[in-house]
Amino acid sequence: MTTSDYRFAVVLFHENGDRVGSAALNVDWEPAIQCTSFYFLRRGELPLNDGCGPASILPLWDRDVGQPYCRGFRVSLACNGQSPCTSDYPTSYFRSLAAKAAALFVENGKLENDEVFRYLVIALSEDDSTSASPASGLQVQEQIKPLQLRQSSLADWKRRSKPVGLVDDDDIPVFVSQQLFDQVASQTLTERGRETGGILIGNLHHDGGLPEIFVEVTAQIPAEHTRGDAVKLTFTPDSWVAADVAIKLRKRNEIYVGYWHSHPVFEWCKSRECSLEKQANCRLKADFFSSDDQSVMRAIFPRGHSIALVANDTAFQDLTFSWFGWREGSIQPRGYYLMGDDHAT
Amino acid sequence: MGKPETANGLSLSVSDVTGQKIFVVANAPADGTVGELVADLLTKMSLPESDSGGRPLNYHARLEREGRHLHASERIGDVLEMNDHLTLQPNIDAGLC
Repeated sequence: MTTSDYRFAVVLFHENGDRVGSAALNVDWEPAIQCTSFYFLRRGELPLNDGCGPASILPLWDRDVGQPYCRGFRVSLACNGQSPCTSDYPTSYFRSLAAKAAALFVENGKLENDEVFRYLVIALSEDDSTSASPASGLQVQEQIKPLQLRQSSLADWKRRSKPVGLVDDDDIPVFVSQQLFDQVASQTLTERGRETGGILIGNLHHDGGLPEIFVEVTAQIPAEHTRGDAVKLTFTPDSWVAADVAIKLRKRNEIYVGYWHSHPVFEWCKSRECSLEKQANCRLKADFFSSDDQSVMRAIFPRGHSIALVANDTAFQDLTFSWFGWREGSIQPRGYYLMGDDHAT
Repeated sequence: MGKPETANGLSLSVSDVTGQKIFVVANAPADGTVGELVADLLTKMSLPESDSGGRPLNYHARLEREGRHLHASERIGDVLEMNDHLTLQPNIDAGLC
């Protein structure tokens, strides 16, 4: 459960400083809460088998102009009998919401299309008499499910692996086998020209000595009952049922750790008649994670340990791979550890 | 004809796709529909109601006891029993947009 005594809004300005207008925000706090919770779980400051209590959201006032202008917000997680665990987030967390607000101002002619704008975030004290939603008879309570962890030494795992890409110490370490990439590549090339994908499954490991939690991706389950074309891959309810069945059939007590899908970039470029030179410099060629891709992460894989893989199929080079994960409440490109052939778990 | 309604409604457990989030639900009204129940659960389970483009996400409730997705118009009192487990599974797009 999340509580806040404030409602948040953005105030938009033209680049010259003239005010465009303001818009109330319907903020999705869940990514920030999940990232905060997982950050403290990794560091052993939240009990692994008990999680945390309710989350509250507090505005952080701008140091120069003060209330109601915010420099960010704080997520505060109640902990049994201890000081709350808190993490602070900058106003960039609201960037996509500010962009949506700007789109509305473009529609009503207050902002030009593609015009650069600035935004400030404000927080106003909630008036309980107007904000209370009608009470529903339904009572819903989260049942804390302890993380399913295997005790392991992170140093041992790193010794038998090599880092690939930008491996940031703040990101949860992720270990992947070459076999997984081979399977993803094979499926991508078999379905060439249209998006395909699958579910990443694996185990969470805990190194109590550090402490740290890390992810082992053990397999990918080709997503069944999907609908794919050159620009879209739809996971249907039956896709999730099939993945559940596959995990149960494997009998390895694995969990969902994320998903992968292909980007047939060469098809996108072909339809836009882009030259090879232009394609080589296109932002879609690698490390591109669309808004729709982010929606899948938010809806299905919001946990701090969740990851995503994109297979980039371009016209000018072999297949490349991009990994993504949660960092400070948003999804960012990230590195991983490639396990050696001798890596037995 | 539906099953007898209890004064306090039904108790259920509901999980997300991954099973990593589980919620205990009390007082699910027997005369409500599955669609209404799912809509009510989304906010309480912190699941997004729409995608990044603002398009509503269509969640289906899978009844584990029968191994099927329930239709949104089905009446809770007709299809659910005390302590049933539901999994909410959306139709959702990854892609270029």
